[in-house]
Amino acid sequence: MPTRSCGPFSAQGTHRRAKFPLPVSTSFSPPLSLAAIDVAVTYPNGLTALRDASFRLAGGTICALVGVNGSGKSTLFKALMGFVTPTTGRVEIDGRPVREAQKQSWVAYVPQAEEVDWTFPVSVHDVVMMGRYGYMNFLRIASAADRAAVETSLRRVGMWEYRDRQIGELSGGQKKRVFVARALAQNGRVILLDEPFTGVDVGTEEAIVTLLRELRDEGRLILVATHNLGSVPEFCDQVVLINRTVLAYGPTSEVFTAENLTRAFGGALRLFDLAQSTVNDHDGRSVTVLTDDERPLVLGKRGHLEYLNRTGREQLISDREEEQKGKS
Amino acid sequence: MFTSLLAPFHYDYMVTALWTSALIGGVCGLLSGFVTLKGWSLMGDALSHAVVPGVAIAYLLGLPFAVGAFTSGLLAAGAMAFIKMKTPVREDAVIGIVFTAFFALGLLLISLFPSRVDLKGIIFGNILGIATGDVVQVIIVSAVCLLVLALKWRDLMLFCFDPNQARALGLRVGALHVMLLLLLSATAVAALQAVGAMLVVAMLVTPGATAYLLTDRFSVMLRIGAALGALTSFFGAYLSYFLDGATGGCIVSLQTLVFVAALLFAPKHGVFASRRTLRRARAQEAAAP
Repeated sequence: MPTRSCGPFSAQGTHRRAKFPLPVSTSFSPPLSLAAIDVAVTYPNGLTALRDASFRLAGGTICALVGVNGSGKSTLFKALMGFVTPTTGRVEIDGRPVREAQKQSWVAYVPQAEEVDWTFPVSVHDVVMMGRYGYMNFLRIASAADRAAVETSLRRVGMWEYRDRQIGELSGGQKKRVFVARALAQNGRVILLDEPFTGVDVGTEEAIVTLLRELRDEGRLILVATHNLGSVPEFCDQVVLINRTVLAYGPTSEVFTAENLTRAFGGALRLFDLAQSTVNDHDGRSVTVLTDDERPLVLGKRGHLEYLNRTGREQLISDREEEQKGKS
Repeated sequence: MFTSLLAPFHYDYMVTALWTSALIGGVCGLLSGFVTLKGWSLMGDALSHAVVPGVAIAYLLGLPFAVGAFTSGLLAAGAMAFIKMKTPVREDAVIGIVFTAFFALGLLLISLFPSRVDLKGIIFGNILGIATGDVVQVIIVSAVCLLVLALKWRDLMLFCFDPNQARALGLRVGALHVMLLLLLSATAVAALQAVGAMLVVAMLVTPGATAYLLTDRFSVMLRIGAALGALTSFFGAYLSYFLDGATGGCIVSLQTLVFVAALLFAPKHGVFASRRTLRRARAQEAAAP
């Protein structure tokens, strides 16, 4: 059993990429496929959240599910998890219904922070052990293999030292790591993360991304539901773009085009077009910033505050141009 | 002095009342951990009132009270689930409508046949006068509940804490929901005998809430809840002998006293502990440059 603390969450930089073999019960698994076939979901109140949603993914990839709130993103997520049953169509994991995949503990889930009752009297260790229920007998009594898997997982995310803490007594980043550890302990072959970077510090975000890449390299299928556009090209190999249906899916570079994103986000997308902004005239570069929920703060050369629009800021632009000439 | 303290043990009915109370209190205390964490306190209150018409009908027809009570409780739970599913009315309103309807029906039935049904016994409990047949029913109900909880408490814990994870692992969340509801109905039926319909909810909430203040581990919380439930019920019944007061009132008052003590003095979550922590944090802040 490994006892050193290593991996992306380790403080020792030299070991950042070190991988740990999981115990026997959580060994490497061959890639599997995930397919949504003409999925439509209509809720009892008559609202059709999703229709004709189809896509197919294979293990060994990190895929983002991108869409605005109300786009049916969380409905699709729930359908993939088996939390809602499609009204028509179906979801297949390795060619089988979701329910069978669940019984094999293939589907692991990292919930949003808001979904968790942080005042519940469970320790970090207890929570990660909940990933092992599928491997336990009727009475859910933990075996040595279960304990080993929990320890390995907690060490891998650098939370073993916190194992006896009540879960509410952790920082946002630590809380997220505990639930990632639970997915690891479960040895899920499809791991779904719901908005994994909300309320998480930058260090933890980077460490989680590194870990997700390791998990991808082990052949797992990582699905990340997010509305954080900026983070997607950074670490996602593929994207499924959603707006009431699947608009596009495939490699990030092909799907993440301004045109597709405008279709997906409609009026909800903010555009910081630097061709129109105060930056461009004195900086000379052409960049467009797309963001969905927050206005970007843009600082130009030498940290000058930049504005979306040149109208009424002529003085500022000429000042900057003077400055630019002076330097060159 | 000593002999007078032992006086209740000289009477068979008192001995029966004492250990039956302790058994009911223990089972309710055990379940109260789930009830408080799931947020089902109102549900517990509702079910304990909804069993009343069933008890009345059972007495009228000469059936075992537990059968009538249990059926009635389940009908109420089913009615709540049905209305919640079919209408956008909020859950607490649905619960309020259904349980008062059942309770009203129960009161009506009892008032129509005052000579055959003991209103006071149902509403306020009558553990000191409990019939042997009723003791047997309480034992059966308690034993079944204890067995189910012993086998399935970990699954129920996951269901209370993170139903989505339970679902993701292929556990039958609907079945767990129904299981917890059945346990709640069953214990409400048993507790009816000890403290009466009005106070059952205290047995199903207070020990769990007290235990919650005393620990951060669910398994420990269950044990503390069960122990508190059993002890307070035993001593509550014992005290009621000397006070010559209502047993249910004694038990629940005792439980409340323990809760208040925990609220004040709990090592971590108590009022005084919070103040201490706050003071220490301020002192540290002041000491830092």
